[in-house]
Amino acid sequence: MKRIGAMELIGLLMVLSLMVIAATAPLIAPHDPTRAVAPTYGEPAPPTRAFPLGTDELGRDVLSRIIYGARISLTVGVAGMLVTMTIGVAIGLAAGFFRGAVDVVLMRFTDVMLTLPALLLAMALVAVLSPGLVSILIVIGLVSWTTVARVVRAEAMSVSQRDFMLAARSLGASPVRLIARHLLPNVLPLIVVMAALSTSGTLLLDAALSFLGLGVPPPAPSWGRMIEEAELYFRVAPWLAAFPGLAIFYAVLGFNLFGYGYLRRQGR
Amino acid sequence: MLAYVLRRLGFGIVVLVGTSIITFIIAFVVPADPAVTIAGAKADPQTLALIRTQLGLNQPIYVQYARYLARVVQGDLGRSYILRQSVTRLIAERFPATAILALCAMALSLVLGVVMGVVAAAYKERAIDNILLVVSLALISLPVFWLGTMLLIGAGFYLRSFPLGGFSGARSLILPTITLALGSGGYYSRILHTSLGEVMGQDYIRTALGKGLSRRQAMLKHAMANALLPLVTLAGLDLAGLLSGVVLTETVFNWPGIGRLAFEAIFNLDIPLIMGTVLFSAFLIVVANLLVDLLYVWLDPRIRLGEQP
Amino acid sequence: MRNADFLLLCALLLAVAAACKSGPPVQFPPGTRVLWLAAADDVPTLDPAVGYDSASWAYEQAIFDTLVRYGDANVELQPDLALSWEISKDATRLTFHLRRDARFSNGRPVTGADVKYAIERVLKPSTRSQGAEYYRGIAGAADFVAGRARQVAGIELPDPYTIVFHLTGPDPIFIHKLTMPFAAAVPREVTEKWGEDFSHHAVGSGAFKLSQWISGQRLVLVRNPYYFAGGLPKLDAVVELTGVNEELQWLKYEAGEIDVSSVPSPEFPAVMKSPRLKALTIHNVTVTTNYLGMNCQMAPFTDVRVRRAFNYAIDKEKLLALLNGRGVVARGVLPPGLPGYTPDVTGYPYDPGRAQRLLEEAGVRKGFAPVLWMRADQTMLLLAQSVQQDLALVGVNLVLKPVAWGPLLDAVRQPHNTQMFMLAWEADFPDPENFLEVLFSKRQWRSNNDTFFYDPQVDRLMAEAAPIADLARRFELYREAERIIIGQAPWVFLYHPVNYLIRQPWVHDYVINPMRPTRLEKVWISPH
Repeated sequence: MKRIGAMELIGLLMVLSLMVIAATAPLIAPHDPTRAVAPTYGEPAPPTRAFPLGTDELGRDVLSRIIYGARISLTVGVAGMLVTMTIGVAIGLAAGFFRGAVDVVLMRFTDVMLTLPALLLAMALVAVLSPGLVSILIVIGLVSWTTVARVVRAEAMSVSQRDFMLAARSLGASPVRLIARHLLPNVLPLIVVMAALSTSGTLLLDAALSFLGLGVPPPAPSWGRMIEEAELYFRVAPWLAAFPGLAIFYAVLGFNLFGYGYLRRQGR
Repeated sequence: MLAYVLRRLGFGIVVLVGTSIITFIIAFVVPADPAVTIAGAKADPQTLALIRTQLGLNQPIYVQYARYLARVVQGDLGRSYILRQSVTRLIAERFPATAILALCAMALSLVLGVVMGVVAAAYKERAIDNILLVVSLALISLPVFWLGTMLLIGAGFYLRSFPLGGFSGARSLILPTITLALGSGGYYSRILHTSLGEVMGQDYIRTALGKGLSRRQAMLKHAMANALLPLVTLAGLDLAGLLSGVVLTETVFNWPGIGRLAFEAIFNLDIPLIMGTVLFSAFLIVVANLLVDLLYVWLDPRIRLGEQP
Repeated sequence: MRNADFLLLCALLLAVAAACKSGPPVQFPPGTRVLWLAAADDVPTLDPAVGYDSASWAYEQAIFDTLVRYGDANVELQPDLALSWEISKDATRLTFHLRRDARFSNGRPVTGADVKYAIERVLKPSTRSQGAEYYRGIAGAADFVAGRARQVAGIELPDPYTIVFHLTGPDPIFIHKLTMPFAAAVPREVTEKWGEDFSHHAVGSGAFKLSQWISGQRLVLVRNPYYFAGGLPKLDAVVELTGVNEELQWLKYEAGEIDVSSVPSPEFPAVMKSPRLKALTIHNVTVTTNYLGMNCQMAPFTDVRVRRAFNYAIDKEKLLALLNGRGVVARGVLPPGLPGYTPDVTGYPYDPGRAQRLLEEAGVRKGFAPVLWMRADQTMLLLAQSVQQDLALVGVNLVLKPVAWGPLLDAVRQPHNTQMFMLAWEADFPDPENFLEVLFSKRQWRSNNDTFFYDPQVDRLMAEAAPIADLARRFELYREAERIIIGQAPWVFLYHPVNYLIRQPWVHDYVINPMRPTRLEKVWISPH
């Protein structure tokens, strides 16, 4: 088996490039993303040499907004992933390791959460909590851990049955030690994959919430909100909606290529 | 078997009650006085006080919840604060548009998923397989609202070949259907690809192959039926999700369905309408879950004979 | 499932979908004169006791009649159900003489009792009407609301076609409250039959009657054969398609599918450049003022210098540029077109230098970050971001807090809660009282005076003006009050929106009223 597949590598490079862009945004962005820098105000202007992706109706440079948008999207994506993974992995490991009553209770709870209309509840919650980074993270954590929990549980169950686990258990290792030293390292590759996939899911959910006006409030240049703001100008300025969408697509695809590429190499 | 069905039914009721409690709590922590939402910008304090008494907002929360539940059981979901109409009626009026779109989208995504999944599996480990994998990943990675927007701009504004939104006959269905189907089609093709791969490795297929059947014949004649099962299960649950309203697509295309209704409700913090649409959607999901469970009972003899699944 | 079954199922679903259309399409026999309109959202209600928004009022006006109404393009009182009226000198008694030929669309004659019933229905707490407050000044209303009386004693019916209102005190603008659809005559038998669903079974005496209403799709009105005015309405039907946002409206307009449309912002410059299209636009300054409120009880906005600085710091012309010039810069509280408006208020010009000096004098440090509460609405967010850009130039980092409408209204009413908020006020009556008293008197704290502004002299002037029926004297007092308010600057005065619509060349006599939705009965359509 190769150490890394071509798809994973491409995905990884895409993700890394985004991280570099986000980290160096103030250096590489040609303009301040919130200031009116264009000569026009009140209507969007098409791409020119000075503003390669055009400017919006508030005279802001679209390219700079997309570059700074990477910061917000990655922050939400990664933070949301961390919340999701923490809850999902904890519940999945516990259910898969302890089995019995713990498993039944946790999985029933997971079933109920899976059955709830997630997007609607997420929207309602953000609207009630009033849009902002914290409320978005809470909502993402609440609605998207279920898949992770299920997958991790299945993996933990099968790992727990392997000889080295049974041996360690018969030697009287404590559950904490068993989970930390033996179970977790063996489930880790899967957790990394789930983390990549959950980041891509979070990015899409965050973009959708922003598009519905429930994202991080302005002037933060979030990609989803940029598409929402472009809605008025679809006909006269389609580039306003096109470029931020491509940015979302690029980010999500990067994480997906990485995650699915790994799964495919494992033959799943 | 009866015990199994009853247990699943009980689970469904637990989910519904849970949803109603969650939505009720959300409604209760709303940082605004519902009376103000109802009475609008210009109301004086006296009017607000009267409305509060009228709605029973001065009662403790459990009394309000009990009243609400009693009405819901009778099919009365209350009245929208903003649209001033019965929530049940609004949902009933908006449901057909959503249902048609959901059915079309589901049909198209299944066709897409099956075709792509089967072709990829048939050419396993070859160039086509890899291309299809990347294509399906690209489809999964598309933000659905952006895809819809781009289709609307391209096919609607520039080509002028499709209606620009709203629900006006079969033509108006095409763009939103495509928008919805591409992503889930890509996803279904991955699922089918995986399950076909598993089934093709099983003994009875190996036997069939040994008897001289070509790989393609074995796949279409023998493996498909079994490999489709996980897909059908997933599609059944997805359909429930679609039927409960596709917020993003309906918003992009101005589709007069439940999703847009729910979005407007959330945008205006129209509490009875939010609770109504969320409950309705949970109800559909519960029903779909039950149906899928029954399908399994029918397909899997172990459950039929009363064993534990 | 075998794949043959599966493909069959798919085919079936597609067939079902193809066969299904959006319910029965609206069809009219050839020669029917139909006005096609479109809107993004559903009409909230057609129940005149309930509706309090321009979309509801547009169609309530078409279906119902009030005793008196405004002119088509102005806010002068005109007869409607009442042919004539008298107001007592002290403005406490109003007598209306009703026409005898008015009938509801179910054929029953309209009498004074129907108007009395309508007002009692609005006052009744169980109706939860937003209009109730306007009629509490009628003698006996308080007893009726409290359930101590079965009817409002102050509404007298000497005969079926005469109605007399006795007020508890002088109220020169009471007659304007009778032009609101809240006071429209409704048939008791129909409202009691349908209860809260009257909205979907509305019956009135107006020029049109409700024919079909499908949520999210369309509302259809047809002519009321019993309408009293001979030869009116000039249309046979009005269709409003719903779920059509501004951009789609415009494309439907271009395709000739709708007769009157709003003009989306991005298209507006092109429309004004085309002489043909420009000639088809209709516009009118609304009696509305858009403003930023500053809470005068919350530091640093307790300091008038800070409030003035914000007025100087914000470039209102930039806001108008974002609206394609569809507005007039506000220099004071009252909008032009409102009786009592005076053009010689000066307001605050754009002067960031001066703003900066004032902020320094007041000791406001760089990086001061006030929170602006606002409605989560696309256009409002656009304007707020422009304000944000302006304030950044004078060292203020404005934080936006977009929330839903209900929470916004609730939040601004709480004392010491919202430092700044973005709202608009639209006149209900053509009188300065409707702006100044309602928005700036201490009597309205925790109600509509959301800046918690208080100036004893302003309160005194307004209390003195309220009962005066002599317009010249009345307006003089209000003008003085407005002058002080502008100087104290509890608001950043932003702009008065101008409404623009565009009609098809075959649509005639479609006019915009500055305060009310367009009336449809005189609109006509030439062959096309």
